[in-house]
Amino acid sequence: MSTIISAKNVSKWFGEVVALNDLNVEIETGVTGLLGANGAGKSTFIKLALGLYRPSRGSVTVFGESPRNNAAVLRRIGYCPELDTFYDNMTGYEYVYWLSRYWGMSAKHAQVAAEQACDRVGMTERMDDPIEEYSKGMRQRIKIAQALSTDPDLLFLDEPMAGLDPQGREEMFSLIRELGDNGYSVVVSSHILYEVERVTDNVVLLFQGSIMAHGKVREIRSLIDAHPHTIHVDCSAPRILATHFVQDESVLHLDFEGESRLVIRTKDPNACYARINAAALEPDVEVTRIHCADDSLQAVFDYLVK
Amino acid sequence: MMDQPSHAFTKTSILPKPVAPSGPLAQYIHCLRASFGHSLTLMLRRQRIIFAAVITFLPVVIPLAIAFLSDSQFAHSGMDVFSKMAGEAHINTLAPLLALFFATMIIGEDVESRTIPLMLTRPMPRSAWVFGRFGAYLMVSTAILGTSMLLTFGASTALSDLAFDRDGFEKLFTYELAMLLALMANGALALFLGAVTKRPIIIGLIFLYGWQRLATFVPGVVDFLTIMKYTTEMLPVALESTNQVVREEILEFKKQQYLVGASKAAITLLGITAVLLGGSVVVVRIREYATDRAAGT
Repeated sequence: MSTIISAKNVSKWFGEVVALNDLNVEIETGVTGLLGANGAGKSTFIKLALGLYRPSRGSVTVFGESPRNNAAVLRRIGYCPELDTFYDNMTGYEYVYWLSRYWGMSAKHAQVAAEQACDRVGMTERMDDPIEEYSKGMRQRIKIAQALSTDPDLLFLDEPMAGLDPQGREEMFSLIRELGDNGYSVVVSSHILYEVERVTDNVVLLFQGSIMAHGKVREIRSLIDAHPHTIHVDCSAPRILATHFVQDESVLHLDFEGESRLVIRTKDPNACYARINAAALEPDVEVTRIHCADDSLQAVFDYLVK
Repeated sequence: MMDQPSHAFTKTSILPKPVAPSGPLAQYIHCLRASFGHSLTLMLRRQRIIFAAVITFLPVVIPLAIAFLSDSQFAHSGMDVFSKMAGEAHINTLAPLLALFFATMIIGEDVESRTIPLMLTRPMPRSAWVFGRFGAYLMVSTAILGTSMLLTFGASTALSDLAFDRDGFEKLFTYELAMLLALMANGALALFLGAVTKRPIIIGLIFLYGWQRLATFVPGVVDFLTIMKYTTEMLPVALESTNQVVREEILEFKKQQYLVGASKAAITLLGITAVLLGGSVVVVRIREYATDRAAGT
């Protein structure tokens, strides 16, 4: 693994609005998820890495160089924007073709590249239709095709799953994983954590313009041990089970959901699990299921931002 | 830097590796041609080109209408009519209009259609992008306006004092050249406005049809700060009187009025074009074009 994107003390503001605040992050080869709610600064970070923005402070390098107006860097980058970015009166094929030409390909090479990229995203049959007639999913695929047509080393996919139907999402997950498996570096931004979880466990969490966490999902989870965990225990007698925790100082909150579930919010999940195990040995408490919501990336994200 | 091992990739391409042009010059030419071809394609598919053509060809009917409907002294000279139409209509009115129609959109369209991030993340010289598109604008507008001027010339031969002869063609060539320079200077201005402002058409209208007209009425040298001053200087002096004494007096008067000769005016127009094109390239390199500049989007 080697670093491909490096941001050092990067801040970016627009007037009085701070979009990114003193960001330090190094993104390595492979697939990386850029996570954060709307307004977290994901797109701003991507635009900085693409050289579309200059940092207000600090520096961003891609492949060791500043990307802004740097043809050598941009030649190795593909970008699929979040918004629909199409020209009027143009077919999907023409869209990919012209953007390939702008990359520097000859007309002949651009034709081949456009056809193959359209084929790669399953758009061969519709590539000669006007983009105006495309569904949201087709538009998304043709945007991916233009990003792929130049066979970039590094691909930025800004909210690539937005607007896709379930099948389209599965195809997109599959494509991103394939890219990663083949040695492409992909930065995928999303505000839906499940989506990113499907393609990588390497994430950068952004919150209000700052890095909240960076690393493997499980590594990130270890960072939040100090944060309260929520454990759901399904059992035959949740109120009896709750009596085992009322004296426990690490337990912050106890709650009941229905007649068969105890919800424990604790600062010490390991001690809590031990106590549940002990309680489960008692004949009155039959534990049927223990579930910690923190296994999902969503929970990690929720913990970190709240 | 690119070959450093820390950034080396062991990638298995899922698509054929694209062939990059060899050398910066080849790269530049590829991008220039791409920009020209793409822009030309877009312009020719736009409905506004029909609208622009209809307006641009209106002057063609005026000499014919004068020939058949008017018996004024002015109507007797095809040269006077053509000079008037070419100077006032084609060069000083329609050339700025075509610039506003097409050149403001050279960059403005990409901003409007949100495709500018795609353009600016291509590994192409920004100047190739700008010049290629400007070339497409120049080709389309010259074809439309030049044809209109040619037809207007033809229509003016229905009147006396103008014919498809050597003198006539020399006159036509002079006006066509002035028109080309007018399209270049006005187009470069419109392009520049499209690069730096969000409402280039409104600002362009104010400058080209407001300020330029106003400046001609202001005493002194204020009109030097217009493009029209120089395009008008390119034109042969139009003499609408048939009286020799009056013609000479008008000529003398105009010589005193206009301080710039045709050759200097042509150089100035080329200079304006070069400065504004260069300025546009600089702006494109410096400015942060983004469709969503709000924080965190």
